[in-house]
Amino acid sequence: METTTFTSERSSEVGDAGEGNMQQQVQAVAEVEKKQMKVMVAIEECEESFNALKWALENLFFFLSSSSAGVAAETELTQNQEHGIVILLHVQQPFQNYIVPVGPIIHATPSMLMSVRKAQEQNSAVLMARALKLCKERQVRAEAMILDGEPKEMICEAAEQIQPTILVVGSRGLGKIKRAFLGSVSDYCAHHANCPILIVKPPK
Amino acid sequence: METTTTIEKSIMVVGIDDSEVSFYALNWALDHFFVPFASNSPFKLVVVHAKPFPVKVIGIAGAGVAEVLPIVEADIKRIAAKVVEKAKEICHNKSVDDVIVEVVEGDARNVLCETVEKHHASILVVGSHGYGAIKRAVLGSVSDYCAHHAHCTVMIVKKPKPKH
Repeated sequence: METTTFTSERSSEVGDAGEGNMQQQVQAVAEVEKKQMKVMVAIEECEESFNALKWALENLFFFLSSSSAGVAAETELTQNQEHGIVILLHVQQPFQNYIVPVGPIIHATPSMLMSVRKAQEQNSAVLMARALKLCKERQVRAEAMILDGEPKEMICEAAEQIQPTILVVGSRGLGKIKRAFLGSVSDYCAHHANCPILIVKPPK
Repeated sequence: METTTTIEKSIMVVGIDDSEVSFYALNWALDHFFVPFASNSPFKLVVVHAKPFPVKVIGIAGAGVAEVLPIVEADIKRIAAKVVEKAKEICHNKSVDDVIVEVVEGDARNVLCETVEKHHASILVVGSHGYGAIKRAVLGSVSDYCAHHAHCTVMIVKKPKPKH
């Protein structure tokens, strides 16, 4: 019979022979696909965003810690990978074209701009490498995105285009006054993002 | 006496009221954090409903508050019971039975933050009405307050707006 040869080919858990097992397999695959979570994490230079990334990895992708008896280690890893993907988003703020010190306005020469831009890109690359390493340790698939522009707007725009399951941002834990002056990316995103947003606070 | 569980579960608090967005948030949280794991979820769910004070609901009325008060109180109790019932039903439908449902009297913002502290929750889930800036300033925003003042990670679940 066809069904018995099919089940004998598969190496995962063997249940009762028959169509039931095959149906279960198909259902399991479909369920995993359904569960695919796209988690977008906003990465900045501050410690809080890495804190947010770690929190997201620990609490949203926890197949490593939960040991389900009887499942081979291989399927556990693939489960973790299939469960979702992390999209790391870093927004570079464009360097202003002029420096305004207390004295007269100095226009930045192109070479200065170039070198600053290069330094910025190097910075972002280091940042991304660190973030990607964290994801790899957890065996979670990750993709890196680097955008240019105003951080809060770009994050919300990217969220609209990519439609992640959750958007994760860190919060600096600023007080009301500081927040009014320095602005808050997490605040802006909480109001304007179209998807569920997770705000991770610094641990007390 | 409570039996101590061997696995330390982190606690997730979901704030609900009788609005549709909060039930959407509850459903979303269940779908993403409880359903895929059958009974093995890493979170323990606490659902909390904030019951407003009757006096606050009436506001500054003139004479006649005394008569309206019991009616308003009964109404609030009825709404609270309905909310709790619906929450339990939703959880049961998703086969999540290990749920604590609480009703606490007070302002939603304070109630949610206090519940988080009481249970040492690791994550608070709230819905968001998606008000614009002006409505938000006038009506106040619980999700905003919680995002700033809760001592744990806050997740704000929005209902996706239909694209025009």
